[in-house]
Amino acid sequence: MSGIEIFQTWLVAFFTLALFSFLYKDNPVYKLAEHIFAGLTTGYQVGLIWDTVVLQKLWDPMIYDGKWWLFVPGILGIMMFSRFTSKYSWLSRIPLAFVMGTTGGIFLTTQLHGLVLPAMKSTMLPLGGGGGFAAALLAVVVVVGVISTLIYFYFSKEHTGALGVTAKIGIWFIMISFGAHFGYTVMGRVSLLIGRMQFLINDWIGSF
Amino acid sequence: MKTTAPVVIAFLGGFIMVVSFFFNEETTFVGGLSQELLNWMIIIGGFTLLLGVVSITRVNWAAVSNKKEGWIYKIFTLLSILVMSIPSVLPNSWSPLLGRDVGSIYDWLFNYLQAPMMATMFATLAFYIASAAYRAFRARNAEATLLLITATLVMLWRVPMGESFLNLFPGDIPYFLNTYIMNGANLAVQRGIIIGAALGAASMSLRIILGIERTYMGRG
Amino acid sequence: MGFWERIEQFDHRWIYLLVGLAVIIPFIFPASFPVSITPEAQSLYDTVEALPDSSVVMLVFDYYPSTMAETEPMAIAAARHFFSKDCRVITLSNIPLGGPSMAETVTRRIANEYGKKYGTDFVNLGYKYGYVSVLKGMGQSIEDIFPTDNSGTPLSQLPLMDSVKNYDDVKFIFEVADNATADYWISIVNAGYGVPMGVGMTAVMAPKFYSFFGSKQIVGLLGGMKGAAEYEILIGHKDAAFRGMDVQSLVHLLIIGFVVLGNIGFFVSRKHRRRIGK
Repeated sequence: MSGIEIFQTWLVAFFTLALFSFLYKDNPVYKLAEHIFAGLTTGYQVGLIWDTVVLQKLWDPMIYDGKWWLFVPGILGIMMFSRFTSKYSWLSRIPLAFVMGTTGGIFLTTQLHGLVLPAMKSTMLPLGGGGGFAAALLAVVVVVGVISTLIYFYFSKEHTGALGVTAKIGIWFIMISFGAHFGYTVMGRVSLLIGRMQFLINDWIGSF
Repeated sequence: MKTTAPVVIAFLGGFIMVVSFFFNEETTFVGGLSQELLNWMIIIGGFTLLLGVVSITRVNWAAVSNKKEGWIYKIFTLLSILVMSIPSVLPNSWSPLLGRDVGSIYDWLFNYLQAPMMATMFATLAFYIASAAYRAFRARNAEATLLLITATLVMLWRVPMGESFLNLFPGDIPYFLNTYIMNGANLAVQRGIIIGAALGAASMSLRIILGIERTYMGRG
Repeated sequence: MGFWERIEQFDHRWIYLLVGLAVIIPFIFPASFPVSITPEAQSLYDTVEALPDSSVVMLVFDYYPSTMAETEPMAIAAARHFFSKDCRVITLSNIPLGGPSMAETVTRRIANEYGKKYGTDFVNLGYKYGYVSVLKGMGQSIEDIFPTDNSGTPLSQLPLMDSVKNYDDVKFIFEVADNATADYWISIVNAGYGVPMGVGMTAVMAPKFYSFFGSKQIVGLLGGMKGAAEYEILIGHKDAAFRGMDVQSLVHLLIIGFVVLGNIGFFVSRKHRRRIGK
């Protein structure tokens, strides 16, 4: 390991341990690391947006490719900063409305076409049969699960009678799914800890 | 003007995107227009991220200026913002340390400070989830018991030692878990949630395009 | 205070200590239990394996540094699989925090292992703000959305991009993600342009994606570190995720032990409280 590599490893180890120290109790070293982290995270966005958006998408096409009309989104973007003034803050609504409206236009079609229809299709089609008893049983489980879950989240009518029974079945399905979710979540969180331990044990302690 | 202009702009933007969905994007005028609007969205969106940066800087600067509680730490936040951002916006033709390329200050700070610190922050969740499992995961009623049993079985199934343990029992429990729990009950619930959320997103989009939903404009 | 009541209320830092020990012990005494392959991972591997050599593929780094431990092994394994098949790889990211940097670091490292050349065999498009517009816009023209690569080189100067205009020229998309961007890859790109997709998700997100696997909107799914370990085994290159599975085993068993212990304490205390009439 070269000198710079050792320095880098120790630096990472220091901040890793500093952040882990919060598990024992809050302390000044943790606070220092936390604030440096917040600053670096904020600063990262500046270089990224400056380069990938302001230069590559706005300045260069406008100046070198003759796309002069891009001054419009440029001005709309600058209008966002009017939020810092009380008198002109309403100006920021215009670029915001543009983003919300345009995104809404994309969502209106793609959410239905890309999510709702394929989900409904793949729920209903297996009921047509084929694949034997196990596949048929699974198809029924899925149909009952989808419908009862949708009904459980339907709050416009009181859950009584047949609706109540279906919602009750829905909550049982939901509990099974959330249980599976919890099992997966444990794995996810432990994975993150493993990543840091792999660094501390293999890279840092390994460098001694 | 303060309300009408945004509503009209939202309608026009949304209308063009909806119409373009039904036309060939590459050969029609509306396809070209929608592509231009997408590029505008990228530019405007970029400025919103910078708005966030300015906002965080202002808040921290005010705390330092007024010597509010913890102001000394906020000096480090401000310094970190400067150290990360200033070299990254300068052209790397001046020096390989500038800009965002591999070998730059920006890249070094990301690899050796920001990324490991963010990973560590989230790694602490492993401790909290263990504590939560111990303190809050109780079989108080039938539903909670079902959740608990499923979670335990899935936790066992997803790790090699646990799967080997499950295989000691008769019947193919891992196959059952994958087929009837993950690809059965779980799939059904997730699909129900996806359908519900997507219908909600689509209807909210329609409300925004038609100017019925205006809460994104804030007050005033 | 009885034994079980005391057990119920002991300092949470003891739990943290036990978790810490459970993570460290397998590093010292590795056990190496067999890792089974799920149909979801097998299907993903088979689909990539069946791609014609030299196909243009996309490898998407839609994860934050926070989840690197479980997502990066997936990205590394996918890059190894693609390069071993001489696929031409386009990487990009929709994450404003670290995505483009991680794509650059990982892809260059793995490309070196296989002697691949930047510009000809792989290209990193980097990042552009707003995944909805980026994903939709690339359907018409990738160059229009990404005029340059991550380092600022115009796409017209990169030979790989000569034959790639939009999704029509991309044979497969491998999305590695820890957030909802994967939903939009499915609803906008797969549904709208028909490009086959496989996803590697963090364990927290994975259960949701069984629905997309069931509806055949994705051809395969890697769920968390276990999914990454499965893919490492399938490509014949065991790495960080596979090594991490021993630790997973022990910590999972410890947490199950906590759940059991916590519940015994709960029931015994409840019985005791009922007996004394509280």
